[in-house]
This record gives sequence, C-alpha cells and structure tokens, in this order.
Amino acid sequence: MSVDWKSYTPQLIPNIPDLHKISVYEANGGYAQYRKVLAEQTTWTPEAVTTEVKNSGLRGRGGAGFNTGLKWSFMPKPDGGPRYIAANGDESEPGTFKDRTIFEFNPHSFIEGALIAAYAMRITAVYVYIRGEYRSWIRMMEAAIADAYKAGHIGSNIHGSGFSTDMYVHSGAGAYICGEESSLMESLEGKRGYPRVKPPFPAQKGLWGRPTTINNIESLANVPLILQIGAQAYANIGAKNHPGPLLYGISGHVNKPGVYEFPSGMSIETLIHDVCGGMRNGKKLKAVIPGGSSTPPLRADQISGVTMDSDSLRTAGSMLGTAGMVVMDEDTDMVDVLWRISHFYHHESCGQCTPCREGTGWLEKTLHKIKRGDGEMRDLDLLLDLCTQMEGRTICALADAAAWPVRYTVTRFREDFEARCKSTIYALA
Amino acid sequence: MSQTTYAFTPDELADVERIKARYPHHQSAVMPVLWMAQDKFGHVDADVQRLVAATLDLPESHVHGVATFYTQYFKEKQGRYVLDVCTCLSCHIGGGYEMLHYLEEKLGIQEGETTPDGKFTVKGVECLGACGYAPMMQITNDVFVNHLTTDKLDQVIESLKKDELPAFEPIPLVQNRA
Amino acid sequence: MAEIFIDNERFEYSGNVKVLQFILDNGLELPFFCYHPALSIPANCRQCYVEAGMPVFNKETNSYELDADGERVIRWFPKLMTACSMDAADGMVVKTHKTSELVRRGQKDVLEFILINHPLDCPICDQAGECPLQIQTYKYGPEGSRFEHKKVHKPKRIQLGPRVILDAERCINCTRCVRFTEEISKTNQLSIVSRGDHNYPSTAPGREFDDPYSLNTVDICPVGALTAADFRFKARVWEMASTPSIDITNGKGCSVDLWTRDNLVLRITPRFNEAVNGHWMPDAGRTAYTVHNENRVHKPHLKVDAGHVPTSWTNAVMTLAEKFAETRSGDILVLGSAHASVEDNHALASLLSTLGKGRLAFVPHIIDGAGDGFLLTDDQAPNTSGVRLLGIEEASADDIAGAAKKAKLVVILADDLVGRGVLKASDLAKAYVVALASNLHATAQAADLIVPVTTAAEHIGTYVNVDGRAQRTIPAKETAHVDRRVNLEMSMGRLDHFGTRFDNWVSDRNRVDCIPAWQYLSQVAAEACHDLGFADARDVLASVATYPAFAGLTYERMDAERGVTLTMEPIPA
Repeated sequence: MSVDWKSYTPQLIPNIPDLHKISVYEANGGYAQYRKVLAEQTTWTPEAVTTEVKNSGLRGRGGAGFNTGLKWSFMPKPDGGPRYIAANGDESEPGTFKDRTIFEFNPHSFIEGALIAAYAMRITAVYVYIRGEYRSWIRMMEAAIADAYKAGHIGSNIHGSGFSTDMYVHSGAGAYICGEESSLMESLEGKRGYPRVKPPFPAQKGLWGRPTTINNIESLANVPLILQIGAQAYANIGAKNHPGPLLYGISGHVNKPGVYEFPSGMSIETLIHDVCGGMRNGKKLKAVIPGGSSTPPLRADQISGVTMDSDSLRTAGSMLGTAGMVVMDEDTDMVDVLWRISHFYHHESCGQCTPCREGTGWLEKTLHKIKRGDGEMRDLDLLLDLCTQMEGRTICALADAAAWPVRYTVTRFREDFEARCKSTIYALA
Repeated sequence: MSQTTYAFTPDELADVERIKARYPHHQSAVMPVLWMAQDKFGHVDADVQRLVAATLDLPESHVHGVATFYTQYFKEKQGRYVLDVCTCLSCHIGGGYEMLHYLEEKLGIQEGETTPDGKFTVKGVECLGACGYAPMMQITNDVFVNHLTTDKLDQVIESLKKDELPAFEPIPLVQNRA
Repeated sequence: MAEIFIDNERFEYSGNVKVLQFILDNGLELPFFCYHPALSIPANCRQCYVEAGMPVFNKETNSYELDADGERVIRWFPKLMTACSMDAADGMVVKTHKTSELVRRGQKDVLEFILINHPLDCPICDQAGECPLQIQTYKYGPEGSRFEHKKVHKPKRIQLGPRVILDAERCINCTRCVRFTEEISKTNQLSIVSRGDHNYPSTAPGREFDDPYSLNTVDICPVGALTAADFRFKARVWEMASTPSIDITNGKGCSVDLWTRDNLVLRITPRFNEAVNGHWMPDAGRTAYTVHNENRVHKPHLKVDAGHVPTSWTNAVMTLAEKFAETRSGDILVLGSAHASVEDNHALASLLSTLGKGRLAFVPHIIDGAGDGFLLTDDQAPNTSGVRLLGIEEASADDIAGAAKKAKLVVILADDLVGRGVLKASDLAKAYVVALASNLHATAQAADLIVPVTTAAEHIGTYVNVDGRAQRTIPAKETAHVDRRVNLEMSMGRLDHFGTRFDNWVSDRNRVDCIPAWQYLSQVAAEACHDLGFADARDVLASVATYPAFAGLTYERMDAERGVTLTMEPIPA
C-alpha cells in the first residue's frame, strides 16, 4: 500500500511555531478534546473513551505494539484506592529518538493525551518517567506541566468536572532496562530497576501495589487526535492493522536522517531512497534495522515491498519496534556492528536473572573474539546456541532483545562472519 | 575518602520535602534526591550517599545499591566537564569512536580518565537518543552537542575552557524545518 | 480438593500452593538456588524450570476436551516456567526433568551460564561437600565448559563483617542474603551493588556486616560466596559428624546442629524447628562452640595453697559426701543453675531431699534489654523455665551473696556466679566451696573442689526455653568415659565409621575427663548410702516426669515432635 507521503502534513507534531507554549497549543484547538470529554461525561464515560481508543486500533509506540485501548481495559473497577499511569519516556533503545521531539515541539499533545487517559482509567496521578540523559527535555516537560496546572487542566475538580488527577515528572539516571514496564515501576518506587516476575501484571498490582497502566509517550500523544477525528477516521490512517501517524526515527547512512512523521505503513525503500534522499555518498544499501537494535536486521535484498507496520515486518522476518530505523551501507562491517550491539546489551543487563546476566556477557566476549580475528567457525554455532539458551528463559525480554540481533545478524550475514573466522590461523574448514 | 562533610541547607531540605510529597512512599525520593545531591556536590560518593540515606531515612546499603545501579550517578568526583561521547549503533557507524579517540588524543587522556587540571573527563557511552544527528555527545548529563566533527569538538573544548557551555540545539521534525 | 499432575503422577492439593514447594513437600526433586521457604520468591536463578500446561475446558459440554486417545487436551504454556513462582491450578500438568527433554536442557543451560564466571575454587572453598551448586551441576549440569574467555573478576576474600567473609566471584546473585537482611533480621545491611555481570552483594561503603544474625546468610548462601570467618579452612563437611542439639547461650533454645571432628565442636548451625526458631539462630549462639572445646577442667581438682591439684573421682565423691555429713543444714547453701539441664538440677534437688538438709536456690541470669524480640532473649540461660518448673527457689544476687558469706558449705552447679557478678570471690572465702564446672572459670578458680561436668555437647539433657518448650540434647562429643561406637545415640561421622583409633587424625586429647553432673551427684548420694536410682539419664527424666509440669515427657516425644511445650503452671507451695 503506498502512502502519498509528499502531501502529508504532520498532525502529531504540526509545523506551528511555539506550539510548546500552552497559549499557542490552545489557540490551535489544544485541550478541546479533553474539555469535551470532561464536559460531556454522560456521553464520554470513561468506558466510552476507552472503547473509542480501542476501536481506533492505536497500538503502543514503545516497541511492543499492544492495542492501547485494550491495555486500558485491563484496569480493574475502582475500589476507592489510588490508581496510576506511568508514562514511559525512557526512550533508550538504540536507534530510537522520537519521543524527545514530542517533549520539545508538542508537549501538550502528550499531556492532553495522558489526561484523557487518566480520565478514562480514573487515575490518581500520572508519573512521566523520562530518561535521565534527557535533562533538557525534562526541563521542558516540567515547564509544560506547570503551565497545564496553571491553566487548571491538572489538579482537583478539574474545570468543575469532578475529576481530579496529578502529574509529575520522574527522572531516570541511566538504565535502558528501566524502559521495561515493571523495571520502570521499580525505579519509580526508588529501587534498583529489576523487572518484576509476572504475574501479577501492572493492571492488577503495579506501582505501590496498586492498579497501574504503562503507556509510551507517543501512544498517549495520539489520544487527542483519536478523539478529534474519531476512531474510524484514525483507523483509516496508514496501515490497516497498525494505523495512525507514526514518528519514524531514521538514522545511519542516509542523506537526510532525522525524525519524520508519516502515516504508518511507509515502504522502507521509499523512506530510504526518496524521503531520506538516498544513501550517503552514493553507496549501496547493505542492511536495515527497522525498529531499534532489538529488531532483527534485514538484508538489502529482503526489504522489497516491506512496509513499516507490524504485519509486513513480521512476514519479512523482523518487527516494527519503535520504528527507529538504522540504515547501513555496503562498507559496514556487520561483525563490528553486531559486537557493538551486544556490548550495549551486556552493559544494560540489570543482572537479576542468570541467562541474561551471564549470556549477554558471553555473547559479547565471543563476538569480540570474532571481531579481533581470533574467531572460529564453531563460535558461530555457539552464538546461535546461546541465543536458544537465552530466549524465553528470563524474567523480562532484555535477553530476547539481546539474542535476536545476534541470531539474525549471524544467520543473515553468514558470509561476513565466516569470512572473519576463516582469516585466522585456527580456521578448520 | 574525602573528609568533606556534606549537608543540605534548610531550603534544600524543604525541597526534599516537596519531592517526597510527589510520591505515596518516601523511598521514591531517593532518585531525585541523589540527583539533587549530585547537582550540588558534583558527585554522589560514599559520604554523599550517606547524607541522602540519612535525609530520607533509608538504609545506607539501599541507597548504595541504587546509586551503583544507574550509570549517570558519579560514584566519585569527575572533571569539571564530563564529555559523554555516544559510540552506540547509529553513532558507531556514524563516526562516534572517531570522535571519542579524537578527544582522547586532544586532551591527552584515555576513556574514563580526567585531565590533570581537573577540567575534562571523557567517556564513551550507550545510546543517548540522538541517532539521526550522529555523531554526538553530552556535556555533564545536560546539553547535547550534535553533528560532531573534529572542528566542532575543537570549538566546544575552547568554549568549555572559558566555562561557556554550548547552546541547546533544537532539532525539529525534518519536515518542519525551514 | 484440586488435582495436579506431576510427571504423570496425580496429586491432590488444597489452598494456595506454589508448584516448587509442593514438589519438595511431596519428596520429589527439582533443582533450585534462589528459592527459600522462609523468604520472598524472586525467581531469578531460573534453575527450577518446569514445563506446565492446563487442560482445555469446554464451557458448553462442561467437561475437559479429550484427544483421540481419550487423554485431556493440554494447552502448554509457551515458555518454560519457574516452579517456585508458579501457582498450582486445578488440573495443571507439570513436567520436570524426569519426563521432559526441554526441562533437562533448560536446567543444563542455566548451570552452564552460572559456571562461566564462577571461579574454579572448589579445592579451597569451604562450601565444598555441602554446595548446592556442586550437587546440582553433578546431577543436572553440563559436562565440561565451552567458555574460553576471561572470567569477570570481583572483590575476593573480603571481610564483609566480623564473622562473615565475602567472595564476590563465587556469588550467583540469588539474593538470599539480601532478602534475609530485609525480611528476617530487618537490618537492611546488604544490597546488591553495581549492575549486570559486575553485580555482587555488599554493605554500604565503610560499613560492616555486623548484623547479629549475619551467619545465617552463610547457611543459606548456596555457594561459597559467604563463608564463616571463624570456621574458615578448619574442616571439610565430610570429615565432621553432626548431632542435633540446643543453643545454650540464651533462653530461646534454638534448635541447632553441633558439628564435631575428633571430638572438637568445630561449628554450630541452626536446625529447622517451626515451633522455636524456624531456620535461624543468632550469631551469639554459634560462637559458643569454644565453650565445649577450650579451658576445660579435666579430672576433679582440689585447692592446695594458691593453686589446684588433680585428684581422683573417688576422692571427689567422698569429699563432698563427707562435707554434707559434717555440715549443719543451716550452713549449707546449694545453688542450682538455669545453665544446667533439668536432669542435673533435679539430681541436685533429689540429693538434698534425700539428705534432708541444705538450702537449694538459683539465681536467674537475665539481662534486661538484651533481647530483641526475635531469637535473642533477655534470659541468658537455656533452662530458666525448667528450673522454675522443678520448684527450685528463685533468689536474688544480693540474697545469695549474703547467704554465701554466712555458709560453711557452698555447692554450685554449672554456673559462673563470680564471672557474671552475682558473687565475689571474697564472698566464698569462708565456706568450703564445691564447683561442678565444665570450664575453669572464675567460680571454679575460687572453689576448694572442682568437679568437672559435661557440657551440653557431651550429655543428654532436657532444657526448657522461655516459651516453655522442652527440648533435649544428644551427646556430640565423647568424654573420657564414653565411646561413640558403644553409645548408640551418638552420631558417627565418616571418619568414625571408617577410621580406627590409631589413625593420625584421631586423638584422645579432646575427650575430657568429666561426667554428667547428675551422675556425680548420684555417686555422692550412694556414698551416703542413698540410692537415687539414676542409672542413666532416662531414669532421671522418668523421675522428673513425676512432677505435674513434666508429666508424660520423654526423650522419644521430644525427638519426634522437635520439643514439647509444657504448661507453665506455678508449683504449689
């Protein structure tokens, strides 16, 4: 399905100067959806809002791609105790750099979306967890939230609606694992970011033991749009099973890297060769990582007709992830790239459970051995074996995220790895 | 270990109370207060960790466990400017290591070390979330400096030597750029 | 009742049950490290994998779906599940290593991962022989290693606290020690520090792990990462014999095991007893092992001039019998002891009752504020309740000090009254003092006749703790008069079974020439022509059991039920 991207005008982050200022945001229709929901609570009951979001087909933009409205519906009936949203702004997956654009250029779209979500799930407080390295953007969000408080959108009995909620920013301090939703909760509770054993799930027992929903920043930023144009219209944007505008974060060996907003389902080839102005220095394409380092890479000959949505990518043998696309040209040393990716996961493993703690280290050490020229063919078999020993065996998915790039890069670029191994005096075959 | 005594002023303690009030349980304040301490003292070494533990009435071992889990908390004093150069994935294939090695040579130190005059510490770090603007670096957990070249690094170092921090670089959607 | 199938065997269960605990309770085997029944469940070691699935229930037919063979259709969970954290569910089907190749592979993989950075320390590691990692690797682990890189190095041989040594490289990060200090001892002294494969448990910088229960972490550590400083390099577990006993350092009476080799008590570890101490004991109770080994009195001794000279047992018996005979009742002060067993105190009471003379009393050893509401009590003696239930008069320190000054014969049973400040040596200057003592403490040194008696490691004795729980000791150490092979109740270690008296590692040096106090007192009674009828400890207990408080108490009952709770009724005057 081709998208008429040339005539697309960004809706998630419209090109309006000073949109981060609440006065500009409101002058452009901002907070109108939120006010509508609060003013017409008999029509827009919390359940009705949830259903609308579910029907829109919006899927989580943090990498897992779970239907957002469906996730909201898992929250139990209120029992009088506190309930929380943790907005996941930990954005640390290599190749991903899109949520910060929302923080910087349209923070109120996220705030409004989070407030609508808070109304839909009857939330006591929203905690916006932002990675500690985003200090500049933390300041921006704190200022925007303060403005929203001043305008009466957050607080007690908001606009006389009877709905009350609070919103706070919580800064991370350098840990990729805290982007995992249960690790994020542990971090918010003031502990080491160790993911929790599931069940119980956050909706049953989340922050401080209370029902909690964790949503990505971009996911929540889509909510005002859904209420504005309606679930049906939203579902018609972009790819059928993964609709809506999408922030594509494209980096690597293209002429015009950066964050783009287009409907979901853009063709990878279009993105690389048309939107991003083609490969740098006229080089040929070698590999594409579609959605962040955890998603399996695709060879240049594997992307024909593949579009940026979950169905197409799954068929092609990868995932949409965060749509953080990394483009690599023909001169790229895939062994070196894979080693550096494995170094990342080794550095970021929280260390709680055995297969990830030890496995990520072993993967890196083996890849380093191959990279520096001491690798043997059996090391490639060992790598694949280790992947099998790690996948599906751990408390959280970091081990899977570490194993998938190894498994698929070695498998899909086998000649590169074999060539590296063969050029040692220890080569057997 | 340094003999400096670390303390919070009454105003800072009032800030701590405001931080605690944001959460239903005061243990959550450990991360923001560690940041507060690091912003004030430049690091959170063992003595600073003890101050935070005492201020929040948390076990010292717990605060130590938290401080050592997160990489942005400096467990010991760093140079005046900590230059975190990203060398991960997109920056890796975009020249990140070249930038790191350039700084190492220019400043005469290895990764992880501080210049003898105490001005600069250089580190290679994991993805900072600026992949489309590679290569890039962060200055002391704050401003990002993107689209690095050796010339730009020269300029930044000169500015920092005069204690002039580079300005924040706003980078909109590619479609929204002028 | 719900049903669960484990390796094709059907079990019934009720209530909320975790699969691993259920498997263990039913005597089945599944390897694990981080799980502990008394601690929270972290499921981080991943060793206890099982395959699990639920039968498919058809709501329309209201029955389970069946396949072509008439077996229930099982929907298997997509991943291996950790049994420790998995709740049993009605109809659940579980496969362990016995019936699942995938589980066997998973177990082997986890062990392979644990071992890649684990140092090859077995030859020098104190955990060897009682190491779950060794045992499980042998049973479920890989053969050989595929790891060819440099292992991660971490702090090694660190004095983490006064009694505990840390070897961070051996640590498998099960977090049992951290959870112990958070959930049981509640000192919060330990935390895991650093991240990823550089993590290890530690105290806050500059702080010691001086938790009064620190040595429990050594027990529960599944590897040699935490070891006891005192026991370091002393013995291998297979060289020692272990004997069930009681902690005699305070009134809680924690159940313990005494570990001996060549008749030295080398270490004391807690023994599980749900009614008294759970899985734990205080560190103070462990350091008591020296009391059984050091500064012992061998043979009776008589005071001559400033010092003591050894004398014969005959002489010791006759001397006391004579002193009893020639001293007026009002001049005789006899002191029982809360540190001595019920049998010993009862023998003392029986002796006096038979002789019809002397004042019998005891001074409790209680330090206000010493207790912590957990396993440390204000009461510093293991048998205060027992002595009270025997009806022996409880007296104050001042009272006894005054009485001692006026007495002509003072007999003290197993209590260092001078050392603990109840009496001064000068209080005893006038009287003829007979001290029944195991160690050459201050009271023994002030005595005219020292009679060496057995410690709790050398005799069968009943002790009643502060909650009225009666427990009994079993001899772990041979005396000069007892042979382990002949005394059928004593445990035999490997060296005892397969060694001889003439092996290099066997000496008679550590067999103290002493006898149980009740036996000596029985002989004294016999010298005065009274037969107390105490041929062995059982006779003494049978006599004790004639007291209403002790009715029906036998060693068999105390062994079978891990102690018996007595009703603490006051003795009628």
